[in-house]
Amino acid sequence: MHIPDAVLDPRVAALTGVMGAAGLFYGLKSVEGRLKERTTSLMGMMSAFIFAAQMVNFPVGPGVSGHLLGGVLVAVMLGPWAGAVVIAAVLIVQCFLFGDGGLTALGANFVNMGLIGSVVGYAIYAPIRRWIGGHRGILIAAMIAAWFTVLLAAGACAAELSAAGSHRDFFRILSWMALVHAVIGLGEAIITGLVVRFILLTRPELIEQDPTWGLESPVPGSGPPRRWLATILGGLGVALAVVVFLSPLASELPDGLEFVGQRIGFLADESPSSPIPAPMPDYQLPLPSLEHVKAATAVAGLVGTLVVFAVSWGLARVFSGAGHRSERASADAA
Amino acid sequence: MHRLDARYKLLFTLAFVIAVVATPIGQWRVLGSLGLLLALLVGISGASVRSLVLRWAGFALVIGFLAVMVAPGLPARASHGLVTVILSIVVKNSLAFLMMLVLATVSSWLDLLQAMRRLGVPRVLVATLQFMERYIHVLGEELARMSQARRARSFQGGSILSWRLLTGMLGMLLLRSFERAERVHSAMLARGWDGTIHNLD
Repeated sequence: MHIPDAVLDPRVAALTGVMGAAGLFYGLKSVEGRLKERTTSLMGMMSAFIFAAQMVNFPVGPGVSGHLLGGVLVAVMLGPWAGAVVIAAVLIVQCFLFGDGGLTALGANFVNMGLIGSVVGYAIYAPIRRWIGGHRGILIAAMIAAWFTVLLAAGACAAELSAAGSHRDFFRILSWMALVHAVIGLGEAIITGLVVRFILLTRPELIEQDPTWGLESPVPGSGPPRRWLATILGGLGVALAVVVFLSPLASELPDGLEFVGQRIGFLADESPSSPIPAPMPDYQLPLPSLEHVKAATAVAGLVGTLVVFAVSWGLARVFSGAGHRSERASADAA
Repeated sequence: MHRLDARYKLLFTLAFVIAVVATPIGQWRVLGSLGLLLALLVGISGASVRSLVLRWAGFALVIGFLAVMVAPGLPARASHGLVTVILSIVVKNSLAFLMMLVLATVSSWLDLLQAMRRLGVPRVLVATLQFMERYIHVLGEELARMSQARRARSFQGGSILSWRLLTGMLGMLLLRSFERAERVHSAMLARGWDGTIHNLD
């Protein structure tokens, strides 16, 4: 998902650069205010961890492998802004030392993977966690947040790439991005879930004592409105992710409108008939057509969401009463 | 060139990349002269052309795919044609990418970080980046040791099992990173750490 140089429209690059810089400054201030002089060691070490973790490849199929992105994982362990700062550090090192992701696209990449990946991810995670409660809540919420943030990031990426073009380009790019990232998001959700489950089974106090590992000291009076904000942001995030999947289908609308327009006649001049007839008007590349991609994208979105729910429920069974006992029993037997 | 003040190198790279990215599509003369400049820099820097080309080839496929995906929607397509647009994007990206690689070859990460700090990047971020680079290698080695230990037990599992083993490895690495951060932080406090890195300059 690293956008390289020269692909983005310069105006988009500038705009996302300003947004990214503002987000990063706010994140740094917020993290430093809570961690004080511990910022460097904790943020530096977590950045190094995410960097190293991204090198571990998971087998997906023959010759294909995926890896963790980690935005939601850090947010669950350390809080949303700490997650964003960690992702920023990883992106900067990747850009300067490895040429991975463009210098002028750094802002866009940070908006997609840091701000959406961690801050919006946390906003999806926190309400679900509170709603379900307990260790099950942590695990299920983390997986759902991981799944939706990858989709949202793909949607944002498509919007940035197609900002200079027309809305139909947006839908074309979005369809492909969302289809590919449905697979990536599934992997991200499952890896995040398994790592969180591992932490919950070995050192649960790191996550459970406080959603932000002591980073967010409860300030009296600031509790309820923040929760509302988180709930609203989370709901918005999920709604947007749904839109990411369904909008390729909805893009039929403009075509339909044009069709109606031509029927009525007010768009008659919009389709200039070329003087020379196209050599093969009905010729199409033997690639899957855009309509197929759109349908596949929507199906992938629905199936993926269901799979994430099912898998997260299955993994979280360990933390229900019966699951706990059976796990203990198997541990004793081993 | 290696001894040049890293601030100038950083600013020059930034200016070069922005110039490349901002060059309008189809301006081959501008891109050509920027390319000549880059070739000159590669020559002076003594960077291995072979390794540069190899690194570039690794990325060429990705950028080609992206260019093909983005190009049809750009307004410039109408005036320049699809092929010119795609070629422009690929050439512009290659120039920027190679410039970043040249920067990475002629300056050490520490010098770059110091230059960033002097150019106004927040101290916390610079210190974090410095710390991070140090521990990337440590954690990478730790990861290699863990996977070697796993292989030494000659473990060959199915796909689901290997997912559980790999996430277990990541979880273990995460816990060890936390503990290492604690230990390192205590050691730093013992040596008078107050939140800022002091350099001898």
